[in-house]
Amino acid sequence: MSTIALRVLFLVFLNFSGYAISGDKEAGEARYNKTCINCHGPAGKGAASYPKISGNEISYVTEKLQIYRDGIEIGPNSGLMIMMAKPLTDEEIANLAEYLKDAKYTN
Amino acid sequence: MTILGKFKFFSALVASAMMLCGLTSNALADGHSGMAVPSIKSSVVMSGLENPWDMAFLPDGTMFFTEKCKGLSVRTTSGKVHALYGMKGSKGYKSSGSDLFCEGQAGMLGVVADSKFASNRTLYLYSTSNKYHGSGCKTNFEKCDGNIVMKFKVAKNMKSVSGRTDIVTDIQYKPFKSDQPFGGPGAHNGGRIRIGPGGYLWVGTGDRHRGLCPQDNSLLCGVVLRVDGDGNAHPGNNPPAGADNRIYTYGHRNVQGIDFRPSDGRAFTAEHGPWHNDEITALINGGNGGWDPHEKRAGRGACPDQYCGYEPNQMEGVDPAVRAAYTPMSDTRFSDLMTPAWNNNGFSQGTGSAAFLKGSNWGIYENRLSAGIMGIAFGDTPSGSRIDMYDIAADGLSIRSVVRMPLGFSKRFRGLVMGPDNALYATTDEGEIYKITASK
Repeated sequence: MSTIALRVLFLVFLNFSGYAISGDKEAGEARYNKTCINCHGPAGKGAASYPKISGNEISYVTEKLQIYRDGIEIGPNSGLMIMMAKPLTDEEIANLAEYLKDAKYTN
Repeated sequence: MTILGKFKFFSALVASAMMLCGLTSNALADGHSGMAVPSIKSSVVMSGLENPWDMAFLPDGTMFFTEKCKGLSVRTTSGKVHALYGMKGSKGYKSSGSDLFCEGQAGMLGVVADSKFASNRTLYLYSTSNKYHGSGCKTNFEKCDGNIVMKFKVAKNMKSVSGRTDIVTDIQYKPFKSDQPFGGPGAHNGGRIRIGPGGYLWVGTGDRHRGLCPQDNSLLCGVVLRVDGDGNAHPGNNPPAGADNRIYTYGHRNVQGIDFRPSDGRAFTAEHGPWHNDEITALINGGNGGWDPHEKRAGRGACPDQYCGYEPNQMEGVDPAVRAAYTPMSDTRFSDLMTPAWNNNGFSQGTGSAAFLKGSNWGIYENRLSAGIMGIAFGDTPSGSRIDMYDIAADGLSIRSVVRMPLGFSKRFRGLVMGPDNALYATTDEGEIYKITASK
């Protein structure tokens, strides 16, 4: 079997196995600081009435952002989160989840 | 004359003019000559707090402060902190109120000392409470007395408070979520309290996402109150006929900033706009802020949960000007409208607390109004977390200029208060209290 065919098979396997490509922490931080920080505060620590979102497993953040992106309500401020999550790509969600897992706020 | 010659001649002319006018040639903080531009610096006084919301100072520098979901504390002049009065379930407080709770934007918010604190030891505190719900609060569409103003006596050793008396018990609260972008319970909860001229207590309230509130005048929501230390109406309040006589102004959205111009004592509010038009407004006794988010008014149809405050199309990005036309912050339908001095160029970025800058150390900024902006960024609105300084015209109807305070960092500035040392103190949603100094 050729190398190209093996690569194609591997990609097909990934696609159907539910395997998630790991995110890029630095890219996640940059994306976070673009919009999310305005409500959730630095490093996802939470601010005002917006909850802390750091320190969660990657799967948790990924799932929540995908739910919001799909327009499904899961809390009283869903309207806001749906609006913010709509433009996120799979890669951006993976990056955000990777960054938020260990993000810590230090003043 | 050559170009160089012309330049030398012009420079000499300017220097001569400066000498004749007596202006100093010493460069000031930012390099200007002849302008009292202060050097502005900041330092962290406290950190690691949980949503610090407001502060109140005594003349000796003692600082009371609130944390929205925890309670009231005091930082003494020696730097020691005593946890004085907590919310239900808070740990480590000397005493607590089992009726006090926090939810969303609501909780323990404003704090201010009585003007005669030195003799009466009285402190006022605004908080959410379930003590007066009575038969109300079963839905979002009925009366819900869920915010109160309390007063306490503070012990001389600053380690406790006692004698709680609830002086205002019927400020409205939003008990349930609704179909709005910021739709959680506790929304638009107001909460700033300040002592104004004559020692009267001023209380800012929010519309609690109930469309009829701001123009209703029988309910305390979307209004500014002026009361005495027992919660009674100031005898000079002039609200519309039939209104609650504790109301000084009505038609507000969510008043989180109140302060009084040093030159004449006039009250100004700072308000957070609905995705358009944050506002600074000079208040007029009995005046109307012009916010009316009720459905089926001003040409509008039905709105989600009878509240048009984010319409049209509240879940999508819309040009702020389109929203402003649909539900204006200052609706010119009202003949008693108080025209705002500033509207943030049509943007809403989370304008909250406000404090006039007092003391000659502030140089050209002395007596300007400062406002904390928390940096809400939706659609194409830039975040802009900052403190602004406004030079407001004498008639209160416009500003001559607005300058961003050069701090070198951005935070969600929730509360601003002048200290007795003529420094500005700021709470941030990130959990700090900053001291901001100005020197010439």
